[in-house]
Amino acid sequence: MRAARGWWCALTLLLAPWARPEDDEVETCLGCHEDASLEMALADGATRPLLVDRRALAGSVHAELRCTDCHPELAEIPHPERRWKDAAEFQAGMQQACQTCHLTNYRHHLDSVHHRVLEAGGFAPGCVDCHGSHAVTRAAEPRSRISDTCAACHSEVAETYAGSVHGRALGGENAGDVPVCTDCHRSHDIVNPRQAGFLLRTPEQCGRCHSDPERMQKYGLSTDVLRTYLSDFHGTTASLSQRTARGEGRVTAVCVDCHGVHDIAKVDDSESRVLKANLVKTCRNCHPDASESFPAAWLSHFEPSWEKAPLVYVVKLFYRVFIPFVIGGLLLQILLQLWRVVVNR
Amino acid sequence: MSEGKGGEYVVRFSPRQRLEHCAIMLLFVVLSLTGFPQKFPDYALSRALSDAAGGVQVLRFLHRGAGLMLLALSLAHFAWLIAGLAARRLPLSMLPTRKDFEDAVITLRYYLRLDSKPARFDRYDYRQKFEYWGLVIGNLVMLGTGLVLMFPILATRYLPGELVPVAKVAHGNEGLMAFLVVIIWHVFNAHLAPDIFPFNTTIFTGKISKQRLLRDHPLEYERLFPPGQLEPAPTEPPKAAPVRDG
Repeated sequence: MRAARGWWCALTLLLAPWARPEDDEVETCLGCHEDASLEMALADGATRPLLVDRRALAGSVHAELRCTDCHPELAEIPHPERRWKDAAEFQAGMQQACQTCHLTNYRHHLDSVHHRVLEAGGFAPGCVDCHGSHAVTRAAEPRSRISDTCAACHSEVAETYAGSVHGRALGGENAGDVPVCTDCHRSHDIVNPRQAGFLLRTPEQCGRCHSDPERMQKYGLSTDVLRTYLSDFHGTTASLSQRTARGEGRVTAVCVDCHGVHDIAKVDDSESRVLKANLVKTCRNCHPDASESFPAAWLSHFEPSWEKAPLVYVVKLFYRVFIPFVIGGLLLQILLQLWRVVVNR
Repeated sequence: MSEGKGGEYVVRFSPRQRLEHCAIMLLFVVLSLTGFPQKFPDYALSRALSDAAGGVQVLRFLHRGAGLMLLALSLAHFAWLIAGLAARRLPLSMLPTRKDFEDAVITLRYYLRLDSKPARFDRYDYRQKFEYWGLVIGNLVMLGTGLVLMFPILATRYLPGELVPVAKVAHGNEGLMAFLVVIIWHVFNAHLAPDIFPFNTTIFTGKISKQRLLRDHPLEYERLFPPGQLEPAPTEPPKAAPVRDG
């Protein structure tokens, strides 16, 4: 059976020069690979179907490619024997082809936490798990597709995210305003989210949108959040620790430690962890002995002013006048003294 | 305290005072270097200092350690003052007087050529008193706010929470001001002033030349060496208190 098919394929290839080569090659391959019963045995006893969906292929972004662009080792018919250990090894082998054109993303993937899990023998997605194999279409169209793709494995997180202020907006007309998984975690070079280095970049991540006046104005949100965070104790620690923090774990409170990660709610939502009534509890996550008046030590992303934190504002104002007054006075006296020395000569 | 040796210099500062100056100078350098990156974390210099220390946590550890040492030094200083007061042996020459304000006016008038002669100072001139009292008051602010920032949980158990950001603003600004005063004013007066340059060594050696004493502290000089008398007067100025911690 196998041999007969091989001869038929060889004959078609011989007649190839008369047709458009791509079409012809695809047709040649589909001659066998449209057969749903066609499969391959793997060393671990599993089988692998070898069916290629003609319509999926034609609708993919790779419709113009030839089969052998991605499968150069299969140009010969009959195909050279290759015994794959298991499905994972087969997939890894097939994915080698992607780097021919997508080298940067391929390399990024090699740095990712997914690849590390794969290397350790666990299951994690490679190229085709997220992008599809023969049915490759644009991964971010529509935008919500990204979340759906990740949800295939990360269903619990995806569900939490779908209920958050960001996730709820993803289905609506403002979908472009909210982050999807890859905006924070990146797409190919996904790092371990428990890594201190990743956590410390959170303010920068959130700040990309939350300091954008155009985007924030639409929702009546302040653009001061990043600046006020960075100028406070936690923010200073975060920015100064970025290059020295190693390993996993929290170095200091970043955005997500108070606002939540995938379950971020509106700040005036009764569920919000940063609502005044809930704030002590949130502080106590890191400061277990915090008293009821401790949260007032944080100015809730407000710049000190007469209305908000007047005492802080007055002290700030005092030094803004006092320092130049003192230093200016001393400098003036120094200059006068020098002037008199010159005059005396 | 004021025994001349070969008639060329006078001992001006006791070993305890010299040690105090060395200690506060070292602590000031450490506190400035470890405090600056915390107030201005965005500067490249801050990152370099923080990285050199091994991270902001190390930086804070050093800053707090030096702060606690400064607290101990300040407490020792005041214990010494109080003991001296109790024994009625504390020279009160550092207290500001009406004359200091008059001296400041005379000095300014002299600089502006409204007076032809500079002010005549006693043991401490008004600038030295300004620096000493500035340091005392600045230290009180820095130590008080520093303790609030070091123990915010404890502090907010007794104080309103808003005092923590108040302490932060005051600590950073007061520290900045102290830094600028020392860099500009103290360094000028101890090193760069034309009649001092390059280095006034008195606080390190404890000795001041008679010549310089006559020029910078004529009233003290006249008290030590009354005109017509060759040896210094036996009773003046009052000896330092016997309490010594260094």
